[in-house]
Amino acid sequence: MIAQRLGTTALRRVTAAPQNAFFTQNLARLALTSNLSTTQSRAVATQKLTAEDARALLDAQRLKRPVAPHLEIYDKKQTFFTGSIWQRFTGAGFTGLLYGYSIAYLAAPLIGWHLESASLVAAFAGLPVAVKAGAKFLVAWPFVFHLFNGVRHAAYDMAWGFNKRVIVRSGWYLWGASIVASLGLLLL
Amino acid sequence: MASIARPVLLRQAAAVSRLSAAPAGPSVLLKNTARVAAFHATSRRNLLPPLPQKVEGSVNDPVRVPPPNPAHGSYHWTFERLVGASLVPLTLTPFAAGSLNPGMDAVLMGLIVIHSHLGFQNIIIDYLPKRRTPKSRKAAMWGLNLATALVALGLYEFETTDVGVTEAIKRIWHA
Repeated sequence: MIAQRLGTTALRRVTAAPQNAFFTQNLARLALTSNLSTTQSRAVATQKLTAEDARALLDAQRLKRPVAPHLEIYDKKQTFFTGSIWQRFTGAGFTGLLYGYSIAYLAAPLIGWHLESASLVAAFAGLPVAVKAGAKFLVAWPFVFHLFNGVRHAAYDMAWGFNKRVIVRSGWYLWGASIVASLGLLLL
Repeated sequence: MASIARPVLLRQAAAVSRLSAAPAGPSVLLKNTARVAAFHATSRRNLLPPLPQKVEGSVNDPVRVPPPNPAHGSYHWTFERLVGASLVPLTLTPFAAGSLNPGMDAVLMGLIVIHSHLGFQNIIIDYLPKRRTPKSRKAAMWGLNLATALVALGLYEFETTDVGVTEAIKRIWHA
């Protein structure tokens, strides 16, 4: 019996015998012998497309493009602790506060609210000390951060300190300085 | 050899069985999905899906460059930076002087309104691109214009009938 023959009979025997899926060794052979012929075939074949079909296919694919670069690919440390996005968060927070208060102040006489500075002062004075300190810190920290980081970004705009080492280091100084300064503002 | 070949064999077998299971439709795309899926190793992320897209022209068209306009470009940029930079001494002055006189307070609040308006415009421009969400972009921009006008009016009222923003913050802070 020639060697090739011997292989084929072995393969047939595996197929004929009661099969056990736990033997992963047999699993491949099983898949191979049950559905496929032993001759090699390509699962992917090329097809001829007309120019219009190719264009339509490309357009369909272009419409399904994902968000790139997606949030997941960023370095977590860089995403959470760099100044630039926090500049936007703090600025948007203050803008929201200013817009909300100003429009409410304009509407107050119509609705019957009391938003004059005297009533605000009286309301704030009535709060417990811990709440007052917490509220002050929640305003002081974004203010100081936005101010310091704004100066840092103005420096970048003049191409001063715009290299990775300085940016990373000044970023950490910024966090430290803004927390210390805002705690200092509580004592004013 | 076997350990290298096995996953490939399994994947091929899986792809072929999936192919034979799918009904033979007229769509080439549908048939190919099963074949192509066998080669995909990464999972799909549905977190923050992209905004609606539409295809204009082909991939070989040159990028359309808008006509340069310094009012939307360098002048705008410089103006934005000047407003931001002039706010630094104005915000630090009340800490040294105790408060601001009504005139300076009005200047400070005027600059802050401009600064806020420009900042919110930047946010809208970034997150509501004109190419993808033209209607929402327009609505947000006009909404912002309206809100800023109301805010300016409200602040004018506050500055003229109340004690002024700097003084009010000082009083609340010391309450």
